[in-house]
Amino acid sequence: MPLLEMKHITKAFSGVYANEDVTLSVEKGEIHALLGENGAGKTTLMNILFGIYQSDGGEIFYKGESVRFKSPADAISHGIGMVHQHFSLVNRMTVLDNIILGSGGKKEVLDRKQASEEICSLAEKYGLFVKPDELVGSLSVGEQQRVEILKALYRKADLLILDEPTGVLTPQETENFFHVLRRLKDEGHGIIIITHRLSEIMAISERVTILRDGKSVKNLVTLNTTPEELSAYMIGRPLSPKTEDRKKTSKEAALSLEGVSLSKKRAGKMALDHICLTVYKGEILGIAGVEGNGQKELAEVITGIRKHTEGNISFDGSAIDSRSVRERFHKGISYISDDRHMDSLVVDMTVTENMILRTYNRLPFSKKWILDYKKAENRALEAIEEYGIRTSGKSGTRTPVKLMSGGNQQKVILSREISKEARLIVASQPTRGLDIGATEFVHQTLIRQKNQGKSVLLISADLDEILTLSDRIAVMFEGRIMGILNREEADVFKIGLYMGGVTEEGGRP
Amino acid sequence: MNHMKKWKAIEVTEIAFLSIAMAAILILLSGADPLTAGRMFFNGIFGNASGFGEVFVKATPLILTGLGCSVAFRTGFFNIGAEGQFYIGALASAWVALNATGVPGVFRIILAIGCGFLFGGLWALIAAILKAKLGISEIICTIMLNYISMNLLGIAVRTFLMDPAGSIPQSEKIDASVTLLRFLKPTRVHTGIFIALGAVFFVWFLMEKTTSGYEFKAVGFNKRAAACSGISVVKNIILSAVLSGGLAGIAGAVEVLGVQKKLLEGISGGCGYTAILITLLAFNHPGGVLLVSVLFAALEVGANSMQRQMGVPSAIVDFLIGFIVLLILGRELLTGKMRAKEGK
Repeated sequence: MPLLEMKHITKAFSGVYANEDVTLSVEKGEIHALLGENGAGKTTLMNILFGIYQSDGGEIFYKGESVRFKSPADAISHGIGMVHQHFSLVNRMTVLDNIILGSGGKKEVLDRKQASEEICSLAEKYGLFVKPDELVGSLSVGEQQRVEILKALYRKADLLILDEPTGVLTPQETENFFHVLRRLKDEGHGIIIITHRLSEIMAISERVTILRDGKSVKNLVTLNTTPEELSAYMIGRPLSPKTEDRKKTSKEAALSLEGVSLSKKRAGKMALDHICLTVYKGEILGIAGVEGNGQKELAEVITGIRKHTEGNISFDGSAIDSRSVRERFHKGISYISDDRHMDSLVVDMTVTENMILRTYNRLPFSKKWILDYKKAENRALEAIEEYGIRTSGKSGTRTPVKLMSGGNQQKVILSREISKEARLIVASQPTRGLDIGATEFVHQTLIRQKNQGKSVLLISADLDEILTLSDRIAVMFEGRIMGILNREEADVFKIGLYMGGVTEEGGRP
Repeated sequence: MNHMKKWKAIEVTEIAFLSIAMAAILILLSGADPLTAGRMFFNGIFGNASGFGEVFVKATPLILTGLGCSVAFRTGFFNIGAEGQFYIGALASAWVALNATGVPGVFRIILAIGCGFLFGGLWALIAAILKAKLGISEIICTIMLNYISMNLLGIAVRTFLMDPAGSIPQSEKIDASVTLLRFLKPTRVHTGIFIALGAVFFVWFLMEKTTSGYEFKAVGFNKRAAACSGISVVKNIILSAVLSGGLAGIAGAVEVLGVQKKLLEGISGGCGYTAILITLLAFNHPGGVLLVSVLFAALEVGANSMQRQMGVPSAIVDFLIGFIVLLILGRELLTGKMRAKEGK
């Protein structure tokens, strides 16, 4: 008898199927991978299982009995635990308090001592080492994840749902995390792991269910499959081989940073600590690192959104330290932010209006004080044509950007930021949240820029992306550059060490 | 899209029906016959020229303050201070009209209105700087400044602007050559209405056709993205706030020069607060502000007629306005939720 069976699950939103006849079964002691592109329906399926949504049709059997969870609390009480991609922890409370939060049981008085013992024995059993008295806010991301898993186990979860659990981990942390998963499996827990990383599926799972366009298209035993087969099922066609040739980089510097620092508002720590970095013309320089180690600050200091507190930045041979965001843009520094909705788009405005966000105050879009919407509209139409942007709406260029898909939103940003005049593109997580097709498009666009002699500073938490695109790779840790590796000498292990703040001999911290 | 239009149509009829029903109930409660009251209501508005003209007299300050609020709301500056800016504008223009005796008629009018704009704008600037530079809530600041300005005016009409011949706290009458022409006698309609209509066009043009309007919009919707694209958030917030206060200041000046012809306490009649409702109901659109202002003014004129003729309290209108606003905002919330549920 399987631990969980979801049969013929169907769920539609406004007549569009998010899940259609999806079937999934998980055994006790099995790690089951749920694979699919963005929008394939993975999250919807898990939200139905966890009681966040109610399905329109189909049945769920858990431990042999037919169930229908009305709320997450209902699912939790039946023994299902979910670790979301963005943790739900209270930073200013201790590990212990976070774990027992909301699971008070029937007793009137909290028995922290007993809870603590219970948690310690759970931690011991599964290798989830955390200190119960530490504040969650002071833990690393990997440790916080362990707290989340402990939280689920403390609530007696037999089935764990893990949503993109490795996105924020270093390769070493991922390895540790996999050890934990194997132990959980050996103890008879069922685990559903949602991911789009094929290598991890191959490494950890027993079986894979692949979703595409809301349907479960295939169920495979991992041992009998290959990453190529998985990706073919996932996107419905084989991956196109990387055809773009790479041109050699020039010796001429485009951007150089000398001892650039940025002090944090609070605490004594530096957000950026004496960064020295050069990006050459025709080069893609990758910045690897666990998120939150100063990458965002680096991008913002270069684009002028924040002013560095120490050091010099020069672009194309002239100092730009005191230049404004707008001046830097017109000198050729453009920016694709990791936070599309906050930094790069005004989502309530139309495609046209977003297209001229950088240039609305210049010819041809305006003369003196008067805007020429006609010209702007034409510009938008050109971009829609050139980039194949789908505006998903009859209003075309007047569609508010918030109604468009992530991939199409990103294309709006690309077409705006990668103009003829752009000479350095600071691209931060440019493919986050995009499906494989859109990701390929972004990658090819960036390589084309490089081949035209432009420079790209590519910041990404996705190591595969960094390794495929970059000419050189710099690794950031706590606001410092731990080392810079050439394309040829870069390997995951070395980068992983740098990402964790370890410098081996010969490194250039 | 069609879906939304359908919703809108249903909403409008529903809200109209509900508010008429509510009005009837209230009139019944005050012991009058709703049908006769209704007749008196419309009679007050359309029955004679002076009543009809009064609609536009009352609409003029509402349009100007409403436009003021809509300009500020565009950048996300929630200006609750139109009332105070109105007072300061009225005070400044009255002072100029009474004291700048060296300046001949028409020019003194222009100067007085200009000063109304200037000081109303400066009054809003205080809150704008506190918000833009220090992040202090503009809502609190502008409300507090309302009290200050109210009492400033109170001090003025008891001291340096007090009519030396009278004993009531108000200024002496402004010379007829410095007042706004009443061009449709016997109605009280004065040239201030053209200033208001001009302002409607100006604000529409500014919002829809200029780079400043574009910047306001970008800043209002997403300050962060505006800043990341090189648009100055501070500059635009301050600019919109000053313009907003200036428009309310003009409203004050026009009320002094066109209607009251002197400065007195309570001169705004609360129109600085009504303006906020008007802007909300007009979805920030200048044309909408014009329309809603005229409607509100007509309601008031009609209600006054009901009160005069039948003793039905005109406060019913304030009640109704509040009721309508709640209905509309509640409806928004409801449909918004339903749409979110369908869409997610």
